[in-house]
Amino acid sequence: MAADTDARWVPIAVSADILNGTVVPAQMPKGPIAVWRAASGHLYANGDRCPHRGMRLSHGFVRGETLSCIYHGWRFGTDGVCQKIPAHPAVEPPKTINCGPVSVTEVNGVVWGAAASPVDPPVQFAGYNALRSLLISASVEAISSACHGETVEGVITAQLGGQGTILLTNVHGPDEALVIALLPTATSAQDRVKVSTALEALRRTAEGIGDAA
Amino acid sequence: MTTDAVRNAWYPVGLLSGLSVDGEDSLLLGEKITVFGSDDGTPRVESCGHILPVVQRFGHLWTSLGAPDKDLFTIPEADHPDRTLVDVGVVRVKCSPLRAVENFLDVAHFPFVHTDILGAETHPEVRDYKVEIRDEVDEVWATKVEFFQPQAAKSAGGGITTEYMYRVPAPTCSVLYKTCPPRPGEWDVIALFVQPLAEDLCDVWPWMALFDDESSMTDLIHFQQLIFLQDRSILENQIPKKLPLDPAMETPTRADLTSVAYRRWLKRHSYTYGAQLVAE
Repeated sequence: MAADTDARWVPIAVSADILNGTVVPAQMPKGPIAVWRAASGHLYANGDRCPHRGMRLSHGFVRGETLSCIYHGWRFGTDGVCQKIPAHPAVEPPKTINCGPVSVTEVNGVVWGAAASPVDPPVQFAGYNALRSLLISASVEAISSACHGETVEGVITAQLGGQGTILLTNVHGPDEALVIALLPTATSAQDRVKVSTALEALRRTAEGIGDAA
Repeated sequence: MTTDAVRNAWYPVGLLSGLSVDGEDSLLLGEKITVFGSDDGTPRVESCGHILPVVQRFGHLWTSLGAPDKDLFTIPEADHPDRTLVDVGVVRVKCSPLRAVENFLDVAHFPFVHTDILGAETHPEVRDYKVEIRDEVDEVWATKVEFFQPQAAKSAGGGITTEYMYRVPAPTCSVLYKTCPPRPGEWDVIALFVQPLAEDLCDVWPWMALFDDESSMTDLIHFQQLIFLQDRSILENQIPKKLPLDPAMETPTRADLTSVAYRRWLKRHSYTYGAQLVAE
C-alpha cells in the first residue's frame, strides 16, 4: 500500500520559482523535502534533513552539481550520497551516508516529486503552463467549493478571473494544501494578473476570512 | 521527560540587573514561576505559592524546582578583577535546551554559520582534540581544540588560530575558554546558560568575562548577539526538535566527540528533558 503512495507523482512547486543554483523546501506525503536546481539547470530533490545533525537541507547552498548543508557544509551529490565532510578534508565519507534522494520531473512548468520512481510520467495538460503557487489553509473540498470548481483526483477545474483555470493540489494536512494554478499558454499578461488576484480572493474565501461567495 | 536529575538542577531565570520588584511570570520545565527582584538584594522565585531555592551568581538569578544536591558550579577564572563582565541578555529559541548547549560545544559549524567571523570556508578542518568526562568533578571537558578564526573576538585584529576549552558543568550550561587576543596566556570566558521553558523552547542567557579594554559594552553585547542569532537560525530548523540520544538517528564524526560525550553524560544522569530516547 505504501508503494502505491510512493510511486505517485505529487505536484510540489512551480519550475520558474527554482532558479539555477538554489534550493527550496517542499512537502511530500511522507514529509518535507529539499528541491534544488544545479548550475546545469538539472533539478534534484532529497529528504529535507542532513543525516549529520538533522539540519534542514533546504537552508543549504548549491554549488555546481552539489547541495551542501548550511550547518557544517556536508556536501551531497545528485544521487544524494555524501561526497565531502569539510571538518575532515582527508577523509572519504562512507557511501552509506546519504540524504534520501527523491525523484523529480517537470511538466507544464510544474515540478512533480515521487518517493519511488513511477513507471508513467505525471498527468499532462497540453497547452497549459504554471502561473503560480499558493498555500491555502483549507481542505481541497473547501477550496473547490469556494471557486465552484469540479474536482477529479485532486485536480480542480474552475473559472477564475474570467479564465478556465486548472488547480493542482498537494495536500499538506487536513486543513492545508498547496495549490498550483495552470493557465492556457496564450493567456495575456493582463489576464494572468486577474487570475492571480482571483486566486488570492479564493484563498480568503476558502479560509473563511471574507469575500464570502 | 522530567526526572529527579532534571528537577534538582539549577537553572538561570533572569539577569540580576533586570529583575522587577513586582514580579515577572516565566516558565521552568513547563511549570509557571514568578521571578521577583527586591530593593535589599534578596530576589526570590515562587511556583504555585512555594518559595524556590535561589542563588545569585554570574550576574544571573538561578533557581531549581527540586532540592539541588550540589551547589551551583563556579567559574574561578571569571573572578579576575581586570575582566569585563558582560550580561548579554536573553534570546528565546524554539529548540530543545539540549540542542542549544550542543551547538555551543561545536566548532565545525563556524565556517558555515559564522562565516568570516568565527570561521572561514577555506579553513574548515577540525584537528583531533581531547575529550573526557571528569568523574571527580562530574563534568564534560574538551581541551586542545584548535581552530582558525578570521575574527575570533571583538578585540581580535585579524585571522588567528584560536585554542578553545569547553566545559559542561550542568546539563543546560556550558562554559568555553578561548585564546584572548590582547592577553596571551589568559583565557576569555564565554558561557551559555539555558533556561528550559519546555522540551522544545528555551531562553538562552549568554554571559562573558573578557579581557577587553577597547570595545564598548554595547559593541561586546552586539557581537555576541550577532553570533547567537546566527546560531538560532540553525537551532530552530533541526529535525527532530528534541536531541536524539539514540546514536542511529544522527552521524557523528571525530569533530563531534564533545557532543558524543555530552550525550553519554546526559544519559548517565538520566537527564532526558528535551531529549529523544528512541527514533519516533
